Amino acid sequence: MWRSLKRLLPFIKPYKARLGLGVVAFGVARLFEGLVPLLLALAIDRIIAGNSNLMAPVLGIFAVVMGRYAAVTTARYQVRRSGLSVAFDLRQSLYQNLQQQGSQFFSTHSIGDMMTRAVADIGLVQRFISMGSILLVILVYATIVGFGFMLYLNPTLTLLLLPPMPFIFYYARWSSREMGIASKDVQDRLSDLSDHVQENLSGIRTIQAMVQEENEIKRFGRTNQRYANAFYRQAQINSLMTAWMPSLAAICSITILGYGGFQVLEGQMTVGALVAFFFYVNMVVQPFRVAGFMVNLFQRAAVASDRLFEVVSLEPEVADNPVAGTPALIKGQIEFRDLSFAYDAVRDKALNEINLSIKSGESITIMGPVGAGKTTLLKLLVRLIEPTPGSVLIDGRPVTDYPLAQLRSQIAMVPQDPFLFGDALRNNLTYDTPDRGLEPIWDAATAADLRTTIEGFPEQMQTVVGERGVTLSGGQKQRATLARGLVRQAPVLVLDDCFSSVDTETEEHILSELKRLRRGQTTLLVSHRVSTARHSDRIVMLEAGRILEVGTHEELLKLGGAYAELERIQREGADASDYEPAGAFT
Amino acid sequence: MSQPQRDHSLFDADISGAVLNFSMLRRLLHWMKPYRLTFALSSVLILVASTLQVLLPVIISLVVIGHIIRGETGSDIPDLGMIELTNQLSLSLEIHPLWAACGLYTLLQIGSSVAGHIHRVTLISSVINGLRDLRQDLFRHLETRPASFYDRVAVGRVMTRVTNDIEALFELLRGLGTLVGEFVPFFVALGIMLAIDVPLTLILLCALPIMGGVTYFFRSATRKLFRLVRQTLSSLNQNMQENLAGLQVVQLSGREDHNLETYTNINEDNLGHEVRTARWETLYGAFNDSMAHIALGVILWYAAAMIATGEPGTNNLGMHDGLSLGGIILFTRFIDMLFHPIVVLGEQTNILFRAMASCERIFQALDWDEAIREPQNPVQLPTRLKGDIEFRHLSFGYDADRQILDDVSFNINAGEKLAIVGPTGSGKSTLIRLLSRFYDIPNGSIFLDGVDLNQIHSQDLRSRIGVVLQDFHIFSGTIYDNIALGDPNITQAMAEEAAKTVNAHTFISQLPQGYATELSERGQNLSQGQRQLLAFARVLAADPEILVLDEATASIDTATELLIQDALRKLTANRTSVLIAHRLQTIQEADRVLVFEAGRVKELGTQEELLALDGLYATLHRLQFQEPTLDAS
Repeated sequence: MWRSLKRLLPFIKPYKARLGLGVVAFGVARLFEGLVPLLLALAIDRIIAGNSNLMAPVLGIFAVVMGRYAAVTTARYQVRRSGLSVAFDLRQSLYQNLQQQGSQFFSTHSIGDMMTRAVADIGLVQRFISMGSILLVILVYATIVGFGFMLYLNPTLTLLLLPPMPFIFYYARWSSREMGIASKDVQDRLSDLSDHVQENLSGIRTIQAMVQEENEIKRFGRTNQRYANAFYRQAQINSLMTAWMPSLAAICSITILGYGGFQVLEGQMTVGALVAFFFYVNMVVQPFRVAGFMVNLFQRAAVASDRLFEVVSLEPEVADNPVAGTPALIKGQIEFRDLSFAYDAVRDKALNEINLSIKSGESITIMGPVGAGKTTLLKLLVRLIEPTPGSVLIDGRPVTDYPLAQLRSQIAMVPQDPFLFGDALRNNLTYDTPDRGLEPIWDAATAADLRTTIEGFPEQMQTVVGERGVTLSGGQKQRATLARGLVRQAPVLVLDDCFSSVDTETEEHILSELKRLRRGQTTLLVSHRVSTARHSDRIVMLEAGRILEVGTHEELLKLGGAYAELERIQREGADASDYEPAGAFT
Repeated sequence: MSQPQRDHSLFDADISGAVLNFSMLRRLLHWMKPYRLTFALSSVLILVASTLQVLLPVIISLVVIGHIIRGETGSDIPDLGMIELTNQLSLSLEIHPLWAACGLYTLLQIGSSVAGHIHRVTLISSVINGLRDLRQDLFRHLETRPASFYDRVAVGRVMTRVTNDIEALFELLRGLGTLVGEFVPFFVALGIMLAIDVPLTLILLCALPIMGGVTYFFRSATRKLFRLVRQTLSSLNQNMQENLAGLQVVQLSGREDHNLETYTNINEDNLGHEVRTARWETLYGAFNDSMAHIALGVILWYAAAMIATGEPGTNNLGMHDGLSLGGIILFTRFIDMLFHPIVVLGEQTNILFRAMASCERIFQALDWDEAIREPQNPVQLPTRLKGDIEFRHLSFGYDADRQILDDVSFNINAGEKLAIVGPTGSGKSTLIRLLSRFYDIPNGSIFLDGVDLNQIHSQDLRSRIGVVLQDFHIFSGTIYDNIALGDPNITQAMAEEAAKTVNAHTFISQLPQGYATELSERGQNLSQGQRQLLAFARVLAADPEILVLDEATASIDTATELLIQDALRKLTANRTSVLIAHRLQTIQEADRVLVFEAGRVKELGTQEELLALDGLYATLHRLQFQEPTLDAS
């Protein structure tokens, strides 16, 4: 645990002065607090003695109150401030590091997981620093100061008060752990419940069409009940703790009453001291109770810290190490030379000895079944994944020689998943260069057949898309991401299956626009449709990571291979029996 | 656009924002009623627990210090009979009064803890049960709103009523419970204090308005800050989430530095607000503890003044009646009980505010009363329909000013397979939505086996029509659950048979748990094509007399495409089928083709007839002859 927490030290170090001031101020505050019962005892004993001069203790209390206020305020503020600063720094590092990760990392880490780290784990570390140090200080100071004053008043009684303390500590620790489990359970059940509602309301048409309302209401009843149960259980544990804690502390009170009472009766202790003991015992019980919670907080913070550093200490997946002398402008000649690639040692190679040379200005369509390696090939070109040096070349130089910024700005790739940011359309379309003029953006939108759609929106290019704005259809989204690629007018354009949700007429229109705009420039695209492939200079058929056929539309038809078969099926349609994957009908 | 417009007015109507709205609380009571006995028990127990809790300091100060140690006696000491009880106990058990007091203290502590625990548990159980019922009723209400309602609302906003708003009510009722738990001891303690010494009690009470004022000031000063902290924090998370979701685009566009800068700005904003909040909170937090210490000083100062001016009185302190040493000590022990409720009240006000608004939103949702018009005396359909469908002069629009369908008339014969084609927005989808009775339709415009659709109960109708929509909905549950849909008549074997027929069996049996594999809407563990096949299996298992299908537009790889076409052929065999077709194959298989344009029937006939007509269909067909797929939408 301590080793994990120690990793936080470099982040805490810049604020050590602040944190130190806070800790010292806490000590002063506790000392002042310890003086109050002593002054009270003094006053009570004077009253008993019939002395009406209580000026000193009363003024003393007032003075102590003011001193304590100043000290406590300073202490709490400084400590909390340190926690906030550390959280700030951690967030920055996390963000920066995640931005440099690529598909390798995100194939094993979900975004949800990263968000949990950014929110929950940083929150825990922040609480650990802010509260943890407060708690630690309360624990140390209050037990020392509290026991110190008590020992001064009555050593025997003080020792008699010790036995219940471990129980208080362990009970607090146990119940806070139970509480943690119970509230996690409540959170899980609550998220089940929202999932259920979300799922139902978004599928309401199907549910009603299938007359499933009653079934679903019944099913919801169970989810609802499970949540209620979890909630009840949490409340129960909470209530038990609220009941037990004062009972354990009461053992101390009874000891004071019993032992202390007789001592007073025998004249060995003053009434004032007896009263003071009741105050001090609170001062001592509190830290033991808090310590129970603290142990858990520390443990959870240690786990959180490990999880955070797992990300913060990551190296960038694709490092930028440009070699001097690469030309500033890419012409667009591409070569794959004995290119093989595997995502990890266990799985089969995604690409296997690919050899392909693409002339500058050529247009290529890559086809092949799911999992043939089409996307992998494109990703290697822009180094979203890192190829072995020398296996992918642009204008005769390995892609790894180019600065990443240059490579990606001159090879515009439109990924398969049409992702749009929850922002104005304009900002989405000119994402790479935010200050680009409107005219080229409209041109790109026109080429992507998006003009009329945008003109249909009241706010045109300023229309916000996504959850908080207009929801675009799948086809509209694809066309928007296409426009985002076109607007860059890059020497190489790479389109990864960007027409799947666009209807054929529109696609036809866009393809002819592409032909016009991309004349003399290299264009690579992935598609399932022969109608798309026909338009390109050459077609590459991939299967299981290998190149099956390469050639023009006519050449491949003549060849009578996989492409010709695909063309026939798509032209005529076919019975399923024509194309029967192994075990289709068992 | 044939889509209905979104309308936000439903959500914004009449939130009064009142702090306490009694008519609303009364309405809330309706759900609490079944649990009123538990609630009553809980209320009695809080009184018991509070009283016992107040007696504990009485034992320490009045009984032990005042009576046993100092020998104070007097009938006017408000000890609630504790001195008497201690003496009785001491006499009957023949033990020292001090031991008796310790024993009594122990019993009171145990009693207070037990009563308190049962009080809290019973309170929370009645609240949980009541709100569970409310949530269930709300869900039932929302689940049965018609499709036309969901056209106009954003699902997310409806959803938060069932989740967040009910959550806020939990907070409200729990908060009220906490306040009761604070204020009952407050009043018991106050009564005892007044009985001991009125002037001192009044002086101490003066602190309450001060604390209340400071609390109020603090709350209003920080309310805006808290909101800013929440806002910046959520935009921090949103920014990161979006950046990660679109990371590939970010990297491909070289936007890393720019985005980091944006993030840093939000992070700095957030830190600024957090620090200001921390400053206020620390100033306020220490103020409350200090007041307790000041009160201690005031009590002592008052005691000193009493001794100085006191006339020889009835007690041995030389004080005036009532304020004995035990009394003074009791006062010092009661300070917390006196001051704490006001602090808690300050904490709870914000929650109360929010919860009141939530409560209004929940009732507002329960009052949404849009519904499909059901017939008074529905026609009982025969066990097996023939499947004749007639559209007769059907006109329809989602809004009064936009006509989507314009005088549509045609017949579909029993067992016929009809493909509908036409451009986007021509009203194809609206046509099948009306047939599935998602909307109220004009009387006398759609007939099923000669019966007006308006005379059939919508649920009865829907169980006869199998609808496959473009956006296939997966219910969370196993694959088998998704095929059988809770129909006990569909056995596992039947589900498998259906899956085999529509070519879904292969991929299902390749899943790790086969038919027992859990699916989730969000998990998206199925591909588009697989979802489509599963939807077919579901419809086939239900074996409806009529099939309505809105073909998915997304292009699917050729192998899956072929499986889908084959499945569709089996599905439509001997079944009246209405298909919105995007694919050449589907159209070729149809008995007749209906060409739809701008809400009107443009052409209707067999493929050959339409080609001979040389109209819109012939044009589309030429395009499709040239193209491998026809996608007219």
